[in-house]
Amino acid sequence: MIAGGTDAAVRMKEGKWRPEVWINIKGIHELRYISEKDGAIHIGPLTTHTDIIRHTLLQKKADVLVEAAREVGAIQMQNMGTIGGNIGTASPAGDTIPALYVLGAVFELRSITSVRLVPIEEFFIGPGKTILKKKEMITNIIIPPQKANEIGIFQKLGPRKAQSISIVNVAISLLMGKDRKCLGGKIAFGAVAPTIIRAKKCEALLTQQPLTDEIIQNIGKIAWKEVMPITDGRATAAYRRDMASSLLERGLYRLLRRWENDGEK
Amino acid sequence: MEKNNTEALNWVGKRVKRIDGPEKVTGELKYMTDYQFDNMLWGKVLRAKYPHAKIKSINTKKAEQLSGVVTVLTHQDIPGFNGFGIVIPDQPVLCSKVVRCTADAIALVAAETLEIAEQALELIEVDYELLEVISDAEKAMLPTALNLHPDGNIHSHVKIKNGEVDQAFQEADIIVENTYYSPRQMHAFIETEGGWGVMDEEGFITIRCPGQYAYRDRMQIARALAYNPERIRVISSPIGGAFGGKDEITVQIYLALLAMHTNGRPVKIHYSREESVIAGIKRHPFKVYMKTAAKKDGTLLANEVRAVADTGAYASLGGEVIALAIEHSCGPYKIPNVNLEGFCVYTNNGIAGAFRGFGVNQVCMGIETHLDMITEMLCIDPVEIRKKNVYHQGEISSLGHIVKTSVGTYKTLETAENCDLWKNREKYKADVSEPWKKRGVSLATSFHGIGMGVGLPDYGAASIELLPDGKFLVAVGCEEIGGGNGTVYAQVAAEILKCDISQIKVVQGDTSKTIDGGTVTASRSTYTGGRAVAAAAPNMLKLLTETAAEMLEVPASKVEVNPNRIAANGSCLTYQSIFDYLYQKRKQTRVEGHFFLPKEKKEIEGSGGAPHHIYGYLTHVVMVEVDTLTGETDVLRVVSIPDAGKVINPQGLEGQAEGGAVMGIGYTLFEDVLIEEGYHKTRNFTDYIIPTIRETPLIETFPVEEAEHSGPFGAKGIGEVVMIPIIPAIMSAIYDATGARIKHLPATPERVFNALKALKNENIQSAR
Ligand SMILES: Cc1cc2nc3c(=O)[nH]c(=O)nc-3n(C[C@H](O)[C@H](O)[C@H](O)COP(=O)(O)OP(=O)(O)OC[C@H]3O[C@@H](n4cnc5c(N)ncnc54)[C@H](O)[C@@H]3O)c2cc1C
Repeated sequence: MIAGGTDAAVRMKEGKWRPEVWINIKGIHELRYISEKDGAIHIGPLTTHTDIIRHTLLQKKADVLVEAAREVGAIQMQNMGTIGGNIGTASPAGDTIPALYVLGAVFELRSITSVRLVPIEEFFIGPGKTILKKKEMITNIIIPPQKANEIGIFQKLGPRKAQSISIVNVAISLLMGKDRKCLGGKIAFGAVAPTIIRAKKCEALLTQQPLTDEIIQNIGKIAWKEVMPITDGRATAAYRRDMASSLLERGLYRLLRRWENDGEK
Repeated sequence: MEKNNTEALNWVGKRVKRIDGPEKVTGELKYMTDYQFDNMLWGKVLRAKYPHAKIKSINTKKAEQLSGVVTVLTHQDIPGFNGFGIVIPDQPVLCSKVVRCTADAIALVAAETLEIAEQALELIEVDYELLEVISDAEKAMLPTALNLHPDGNIHSHVKIKNGEVDQAFQEADIIVENTYYSPRQMHAFIETEGGWGVMDEEGFITIRCPGQYAYRDRMQIARALAYNPERIRVISSPIGGAFGGKDEITVQIYLALLAMHTNGRPVKIHYSREESVIAGIKRHPFKVYMKTAAKKDGTLLANEVRAVADTGAYASLGGEVIALAIEHSCGPYKIPNVNLEGFCVYTNNGIAGAFRGFGVNQVCMGIETHLDMITEMLCIDPVEIRKKNVYHQGEISSLGHIVKTSVGTYKTLETAENCDLWKNREKYKADVSEPWKKRGVSLATSFHGIGMGVGLPDYGAASIELLPDGKFLVAVGCEEIGGGNGTVYAQVAAEILKCDISQIKVVQGDTSKTIDGGTVTASRSTYTGGRAVAAAAPNMLKLLTETAAEMLEVPASKVEVNPNRIAANGSCLTYQSIFDYLYQKRKQTRVEGHFFLPKEKKEIEGSGGAPHHIYGYLTHVVMVEVDTLTGETDVLRVVSIPDAGKVINPQGLEGQAEGGAVMGIGYTLFEDVLIEEGYHKTRNFTDYIIPTIRETPLIETFPVEEAEHSGPFGAKGIGEVVMIPIIPAIMSAIYDATGARIKHLPATPERVFNALKALKNENIQSAR
């Protein structure tokens, strides 16, 4: 199956993906939508990153996904690449995936004869590997809309600012109380393990005390314990571990700043 | 040329639009690799499977039998000399006995389609016997190392000694000593290596292939083919970027060999990016040890340098690169005592050769960083220490020769000192957006020789022809490499011929249309080509005036050259009518101009060609912001202050200054082709990181124009120095921001972060 082709064409050129038949789904307009129905946001898999970035509903109620989409490649990739393709490639460094994790996304998978709903945490099983069956495809991405006091941020470190594959990325979503008090939150790291990792220990610390700059630093400091990165051409495992801490600290700091400046959305 | 400086100029010094601009921005222009022909064949090159191995046998039978394959060639099919290389032709066209790097070519195929050609490569059977891989230049220098070439692994060794170094180090108040490592940068031109070859019924061969010196490419082709060069035409312009990467032969000889076996059908080769990464030449990675001594007042006393360059498997221009590096290793300063030495060493790491800056990039970081270290220890101003130590025109350089030509360093430093970024640097530095971000502002200065050194032929030539429509065709050998030299030639011609620039057509890089005028390298094409046009133009004026005098039957002294017209005694002649007259009389309508570059009389013994007669100078001021949480460095502002002599086209100069700055940012922060045990780890632009528009800062260019009277209208050169001082300037700005010195480039986020971490640990230790 080929959607935007920004992953598929590259793999094809490298000789890695050479199926006998490619099914081009890019023209199925029915699968390119963003809507709010029955208290849930629905995103069609052929929605491009640019569609996501520009959509006011998502800007308000799925801010972390909008930020992640903004970090995919650069304009050309955002215009061509789709969210379904980003999920389908199942790269540990895929940028929208951590965002979908912290938003608690559920995927609708369909074949001609079946439909099932799968929570994101059960979907990915390894680099490039998902539970998707042979004749199935993703037909809907369902996320609960953020509440008024829910805010999110996406942080990415690549070898440069545009057109780069994440060395480490992190998505954070917080449910805020008064001042700097956090009522709950989710943190998901990318590129530091075979699949996305939820930083449960850090998450548990979010609600202990008001998130002062010092507490933020302390939460950041333990993030490296939650990740299991490898060394590759882009970075060493040690640096990736350090960066898990740095990005979490940077993300929380920026998020809290925004919370204080904007208050409730 | 001096007298022109005082007259009002119409074209020179003006922001004249690129004459090739419209067709480039609309995409209408075709580069040579853009052409398709109906009956064309595709050529492919079989590369070595191993970085170092003996070839036991090559069997091409199966490949030849594949349907759609037109020809398969090996070393046995080379009629002439099986080798190429600009100075020492030690690289086989097609390997016969041994392969020394994965860039080595073993066989050529021409086939009906690219796919068939690729398939045919897979059918060629090569039997190898593996040999030990030499992957480290210093190890390659050991006497026990396996020799890659008959004369050993040290391809060249250059030395410059001046004064009493040992004594100076003893007397010095301050000594700094460090080792610097620099990356294997890739030219990353937009047009990968490629071109066309075709042989006609009479055996005339035409090669269309972007290159930096058509006549030399033709010579190298003719040598391999044992063919009369007069029967080969090389068209080498326009080039989709080269930066030195197309100075050496790329695919010209392959194309010619294949063209001899395809029955008159054109053959095209065009490398994929992946093939270009492996087969194309790269910048030499250097290890530079440097020790510098100074007096308490900041006067530089002595400099000791030992540089080792990894040239990969073949020489190409490696010997010249290390020579230029050593010549420039002390910066544009007068250091009375120096002991400088450089080695160019063979390894199995691909092939290194010419690249914008030509060795100076790798050494400038040493001396400039040392100046900053001394500055800091002595609490003096970084501009002051440079002003104190720079040589001026007429003074003796660190190499011990008198610099007779124009020297603008001092002026560039004055401009730097007074620019907004430097004057208000404390204000800008304080302006960080987030608490963990740190800003630094630094400057550095450097220089770069223009033209070839002592001992190499260096001349320029141009012709100007009056065309039937009354326009002038200016023909210069130097190719259009992207920098806009064609527009410069048009400006110079229009200025002297007193005509509108639209009257000038320019043709470049074609052995059948342009006379041999040397390379488009060494920052020389504005200076040399421009000067050659300036030598030809008066000959054209003479032809026009004398013809007009004849036509109007007046003495030549009565003829006036007015803008776009020739007049005498009240009557006017158009250029067209002059052409008609000359044509009817069967008289020559074309003139030539020749120019020999002035040279130093004597080579510094052992230096490999130093000194140059002319240098261009430049100071960079940069501001960076370092994210101390991640180690990311963002270059926010650049001020580029070149002394390129008289600026012929400010727009073109700014283009070079901006492009050079971005290339320098790439070199300092991102780029490196990684090779492990002879195999490339870098594959393509997925893992070779070059700056994008988001890494491109605000760049301001303030030229100081220190006229060089031997050049056209006082111009020198600009092409290379634009990417040099920015390298140490960024390194130093990172230090200014964070206190961490990076001595191993590129300064990737990981390297910067680790340096910051080490610094933190040091501080904790020393606090205890
Ligand atoms: C230069 C460049 C830069 C890039 N930078 C980034 C980056 O910064 N961050 C990042 O995350 N990615 C990046 N990418 C990767 C890519 O652009 C994204 O992953 C993009 O979202 C893929 O979408 P697509 O529609 O092009 O996928 P395609 O290539 O069309 O498909 C990718 C895979 O998903 C499958 N697929 C597509 N749609 C569905 C569906 N509905 N159901 C099931 N399977 C499906 C396909 O079968 C295929 O296996 C980059 C790619 C390039 C070439």
